Amino acid sequence: MDGSARLVIFCGKGGVGKTTLSLAAGLQHATQGRKVLVVSSHPLSELALAVSLEGLSARFPAAAQNLFVLHIDPKDLIADVVHKYFPVPVMARKILDSSLFTNLIEVAPGLKEFFFLGRMQELSERVKNNSASDVPEYDYLIWDAPASGHFLSTLRSAKSFEVFLTGPLAAAGAQIHRFFSSSGNIQLFPVTPLEEMAIAETLDIATAMTKDFDVTCSAVLVNCASPLCDAPESEIAALEAVRNSSPAMRFAVERGLLERERLAELRARLPLPQVLVPRINHSSNDLDLLVRIGGGMDLSRFA
Amino acid sequence: MKIVVCVGTGGVGKTSVAAAMALAQARAGAKCLVLTTDPALRLKTALGLKDGLHEQRVAVADAKGELWAAQLDVNATLDDAVLLHAKPANREKILQHPIYRTIAGSLAGMQELMAVERIDQLIRRGFDNIVVDTAPSRHALDTFDKPVLFADFSDSGKVRFVSRTYKFAEAIGLTGVGRGALEIYSRAESIFGTNMVRQILDFYSLFYPIAEGYSERARKTVAMLRDPAVTEFRVVTIPSKAVRDAGFFLEQLKKRKFATGMICVNRTWLHAMPEMAVAGLAAELLDWYRGVSDSQASAIAKMTEAHGSQVREIRVLHELERDVDGVESLRALAVQLEPEPLRATP
Repeated sequence: MDGSARLVIFCGKGGVGKTTLSLAAGLQHATQGRKVLVVSSHPLSELALAVSLEGLSARFPAAAQNLFVLHIDPKDLIADVVHKYFPVPVMARKILDSSLFTNLIEVAPGLKEFFFLGRMQELSERVKNNSASDVPEYDYLIWDAPASGHFLSTLRSAKSFEVFLTGPLAAAGAQIHRFFSSSGNIQLFPVTPLEEMAIAETLDIATAMTKDFDVTCSAVLVNCASPLCDAPESEIAALEAVRNSSPAMRFAVERGLLERERLAELRARLPLPQVLVPRINHSSNDLDLLVRIGGGMDLSRFA
Repeated sequence: MKIVVCVGTGGVGKTSVAAAMALAQARAGAKCLVLTTDPALRLKTALGLKDGLHEQRVAVADAKGELWAAQLDVNATLDDAVLLHAKPANREKILQHPIYRTIAGSLAGMQELMAVERIDQLIRRGFDNIVVDTAPSRHALDTFDKPVLFADFSDSGKVRFVSRTYKFAEAIGLTGVGRGALEIYSRAESIFGTNMVRQILDFYSLFYPIAEGYSERARKTVAMLRDPAVTEFRVVTIPSKAVRDAGFFLEQLKKRKFATGMICVNRTWLHAMPEMAVAGLAAELLDWYRGVSDSQASAIAKMTEAHGSQVREIRVLHELERDVDGVESLRALAVQLEPEPLRATP
């Protein structure tokens, strides 16, 4: 990944396909022999509910060796800090088990998000990069981010720590905020189907990222695109003749035309490259789906 | 009175379906309210929703009953509760507290607590039926867990204890830090910084009496949601997620002793395929539709086989050609939901 960002982020509204596209991109890289880590916002026990990697080692043994999926629970990270701070395990345990401590962690604004962000930065620094002298552990790091609102509040937690606190946490906040405010470190791919709310959230994310972090998104991944999205005008005009021939046809044409309008509007309001990810008929299993999506979505050109 | 609670993951059109269910009930003669969380702009406009604590009557041409809509505004609900339950001397202190807004936005369970608080408020406003649209997440059911947790939290006296400890520590200038909770508090402080810990404890000492008042009502409301004579849960999903969503939510609801009556599969593409032969882009488009349609049909069949016996019925809704952008398009969904199986029992 010469010269490319260390951390690739798939973000967007809930239910737009972030996890599917993250895993599709991850699997694609892993198949090509790169060591990939996908940090998912889903706890692993629930990941298969979104998209299942079942049968990976049987069908793609090489990729299975290279693809790692991880979920980070901020509570574990905070426990690590306490253990570091109190090297005597009994003492650390006593603090971690106290309900007062647990409650403080639950309610401290942004604390869990802040620790999560710190870990993401740490993982990013283990990714192969020309300037890094340490031994890389991964060639490619993907963050399957939580839904828009939580994603932005997670990123903003570092800045809040810098502004509202003093001492070591404030310094860490400043440093982490700097890391996530550099296009050299992170690469952002908002995912959106051509639906009203998902597009609105994509615009919000892009605006917030430019304003608060000085990071421009690399490309918009337009998920579930219809065949009309990239069809030439002349062929679109010809659809008029058959448009009302049946309810199925009417629906498909209406839907396709609406998506075309929205795609153009999205392009006008957010002048970024658009990658069309076609709506694929649900394959017999998730692996087939991931392979087909990954094969049609080459993101390395944005490096 | 009947309560319908819609649960489902993001992107399934849960808010529109909830609103359509309320409309179907209004058409059948009920005075029905839909409580939404985070509606899309068009739907928000269609329902005349504004931020704050308003219930809005929605004009429906041929309904025998009435359709009302309200939005869950966490901040407004919280402010309202502060004004209602805090001691007069503490009201401004709480509202002006530097971490009040942050806490309101990020306190674990606050959104959930406010949802239940709002349901409780609305129950007392004389609606025949209320349709609740939960937050779009697999964790939406936390909505009904967290208030109870929060209740346990405040009841255990922890907050009272913490705030007393804190006041005591303040009084002695934090010099007499000794044992037990106070010791742990000081350690938390040394790890996370003085400001944050102090502000949180300070806030809690003010907020505690309100939390207590909430918790009492939250318990009663959750008990009502567990009563199958009053409340029915409905899983809203889309074909591609149907098998997994139905399995997940039915299990989670059962675990929490909530009764599920319906699985509603939204946004289906199940129109019959035309006989007429077409060519070019039209053929490509139709092929694409057929592919999606076939896979949806088989997903729905699979879901029905696996979970159909656990609910009273499975409803399948055609996806609309355009977004729900007014009462008219909401009606197109509502007629697909009729007859509404729940009748109001005034």
